Amino acid sequence: MRAEPMHKISRKGLTVWRLYGVLQTLLLLIIAALVCYGTYYFEWPSFIYFIAITVVILSAILSAYLFPKIRWERWRYEVRESEIEVQHGLFVVKRTLIPMVRVQHVDTTQGPILKRYDLGNISISTAATVHTIPALVMDEADGLRARISELARVAEDDV
Amino acid sequence: MSKEINRLHPVSAIITSAKALKSMILPVAIIVVTNGFNFSFNFRSEHFFQTLFLFGIWGVGALLALVSGIVKWRTFVYWFEDGELRVKYGLFVKKKRYIPFERIQSLNYNEGIFHRLFGLVKVQVETAGSKDRKPEVELTAIRKAAADVIELEMRRAKNQVNKPINDEQSLSIVEEVSVPTIYHMSIRDLFILATTSGGIGVVLSGLVAIVSQFSDIIPYEKIFHELADFVKIGAFLVALTAILTLIAAWFVSFVITLINYYEYMVRIEDEKLIITKGLLEKKRITLPLNRIQAIRIVENPLRQLFGFATVVVESAGGNGGEGNDKKITLFPLIQKQDCLPTLEQLFPDMNWRPEFIHSPKRARPFFYRIDFVWLIPIIGACSYFLYPYGLLSLFLIPLTILLGIWQHKTAGYMIDGKQLTMQYRIFSRITLFMEKKRIQSIGSTQTYFQKEKNVMSIKATVMSGMTGMTGNVPSIEQQDAEKILSWYEH
Repeated sequence: MRAEPMHKISRKGLTVWRLYGVLQTLLLLIIAALVCYGTYYFEWPSFIYFIAITVVILSAILSAYLFPKIRWERWRYEVRESEIEVQHGLFVVKRTLIPMVRVQHVDTTQGPILKRYDLGNISISTAATVHTIPALVMDEADGLRARISELARVAEDDV
Repeated sequence: MSKEINRLHPVSAIITSAKALKSMILPVAIIVVTNGFNFSFNFRSEHFFQTLFLFGIWGVGALLALVSGIVKWRTFVYWFEDGELRVKYGLFVKKKRYIPFERIQSLNYNEGIFHRLFGLVKVQVETAGSKDRKPEVELTAIRKAAADVIELEMRRAKNQVNKPINDEQSLSIVEEVSVPTIYHMSIRDLFILATTSGGIGVVLSGLVAIVSQFSDIIPYEKIFHELADFVKIGAFLVALTAILTLIAAWFVSFVITLINYYEYMVRIEDEKLIITKGLLEKKRITLPLNRIQAIRIVENPLRQLFGFATVVVESAGGNGGEGNDKKITLFPLIQKQDCLPTLEQLFPDMNWRPEFIHSPKRARPFFYRIDFVWLIPIIGACSYFLYPYGLLSLFLIPLTILLGIWQHKTAGYMIDGKQLTMQYRIFSRITLFMEKKRIQSIGSTQTYFQKEKNVMSIKATVMSGMTGMTGNVPSIEQQDAEKILSWYEH
């Protein structure tokens, strides 16, 4: 058995994902409320009530509680001397190895919610693929970027 | 270095205009049809202004196309200076582009029907940076002699970089180019290629024929007497039209393939592959060997039966204007035994006869189990709505399982020093040869069920065009998959 990559996403990342889930649920709640009102007003069949309510409850349980938890448990990454390894996946566990010499550039993106928690998504691009590590602590992301660019400078083959 | 200014051939004005006009035909046709042909030049007619407006717009568009073609031809000049190909064009906004000769990756020639009439050629100059699917410089139409001059200049520039030689010598070098041919497609192979390119269609029409025969065997006349006649005639008609359509489609694809791949030749010249092909429209594609990322051997079932294969090259950067896919067919159709020695000669440090380690027996269910998720609803719907014919969809179940077993038999991998070879099948068998240094990333995926059984799928991506090309061997031993991961690390 291969050892799992070392680092987990920070605890704050889980909070942010939960927050996303809550926002999504709220959005669905508004839509559901509108649909329910429409059902009441136009006398559509009453099973629509059930569907709307079920969708909201499911979203609350899954996207605000369960999925972030599993994702967070599962998400691991490790930056070693010569390669980056990430592991993630909800139902299917995906592992990816990216050699440092293949890395072309690194981007960090930060939305308003992530900024509040001082987190950032870092995406690592090779010539053919893009890999994202979500919700990293900003200091760590910057350090990672610096290291990758340093290591990428000693690359041999292009492409 | 000559400093004379070269122009494009006047025909290029016509070609450019024709291209612009061609792109205008469709919208105009749509407008004409939607208008219901209510045209009239009668001044009192209500459609008069509409007609005037439409034709006015179209006329202006056509005029613009013509003018732009002429302007482009009049303003476009190119010349050679300081070991660079220099291009200048534009009427109000002057655009210049200088390309150093040693940066030029490939010169691709294209001869359309227009070009052939006047002995001209379209030249596309590509550098490693031609990533946005466009050649760096396109010379719409120049004389063949002029195209040869560009090549000669390029060679001279490259030679001067390596070792300075006087002009006469370099000229003589150019003239005695005898390029070794590594592959020339025989007429027989061309016909087989053209025949099997629509192979699936032929198989399908055969299937339809069999199905229509079935309607004689099933005694449903007794069940629905009146309905039966109608269904039978309907089914027969449908089958007949389907067969005729497929035959027509196959014939069209046959002819197109014949025209496109006529005189298909691959030659090698100072670390570059040169591919020439075409009957009406001649094409010449250059492919530097060092841009090649991976080699794919594709065998569709019908061709595999006769030992034929297609060899595809995944390359980074230029692709000779083949449109939007960056994969270049190296050998469209070749006996597999014959292509291996050729490939060995081309890439001597690769192992072309791999011994695969296959997927374990216990992984077999993974190859067809997932299909039932979408298969069962389809079969259910077919059986319910298209009774009794819909019941035929039940045959999909054994077919899916058989395909799964076949995929399982095919799936395998091999690590050999610095090379990873993958073999898998979706429908055609794909063998993907990759060097470690060309692999951009490797990943593994494992579902919950696969974990229970200790199997894992493995993916490897190489650069190819803009997006990359991913090979995927499903469900091999977990230890094997992890071995590949560790091999890639070190």
